[in-house]
Amino acid sequence: MQIEQSERDGVVVLATSGRFNMVSAPRIKARIDETVAAGNARIVVDLAGVDFIDSSGLGALIGGLKTARQASGDLRIAAAGDQVVTVLKLTNLDRILTPFDTVEAAVDGW
Amino acid sequence: MDGDGYDLSGFAVPEGIEELHHLLERVGSDHPDLDGGDLMLFETAVIEIANNVVEHGSPPGVGWRFTLDVLPDRLEATLSDDGNAHVADLATEMPGVDAESGRGLPLAHAILDEISYQRVDDINHWHMVRSRAGSS
Repeated sequence: MQIEQSERDGVVVLATSGRFNMVSAPRIKARIDETVAAGNARIVVDLAGVDFIDSSGLGALIGGLKTARQASGDLRIAAAGDQVVTVLKLTNLDRILTPFDTVEAAVDGW
Repeated sequence: MDGDGYDLSGFAVPEGIEELHHLLERVGSDHPDLDGGDLMLFETAVIEIANNVVEHGSPPGVGWRFTLDVLPDRLEATLSDDGNAHVADLATEMPGVDAESGRGLPLAHAILDEISYQRVDDINHWHMVRSRAGSS
């Protein structure tokens, strides 16, 4: 799994791909923590390349959301596929992690 | 082999999780009639149970065996390992939205029609069933 980082209008976009699971989740959470620690607390996680998420991945997103909010920022997710959207609903996490259709929509609506 | 039964032996380590993903991909390509949503959710539940064995199984990296049957009305699988007995906390309650862990088994429960844990002859067995779409 690779994490590509870019910036749009002052928002850091972290794009990941493959499976967001017990192996990759700690790395993504660490990257979010580093990004917030560097002073960028507005983060979009681009999930377009993620074909599978498990509960470890969900935990990393919630942990990242808390880290960002503690720094007066926020974390949004974009371009989630069917499996990710379904799992978010089943775990009720769609209430606090609203999936934006695209990265552009997530950044524009800030 | 009739093409409907699958059997995989390996170890409860992250690479073993990848092998399960690959097996479930093969199930999908072997069964184009299988509803993609059913298989996607079943895979999600299987991986959560397997994650649980990887994270909490003892000794770490125990040997496991996964069997799966594609039946006309359901998907049925068993994950067995020869480690020590699991502390079988079949938690069904989804934790609050701010929790960073504890969703694996509740998520599996939400997906599966049947889920059980049994220890028989020093082997742990997790049994998982999901009815197929339109087969009620």
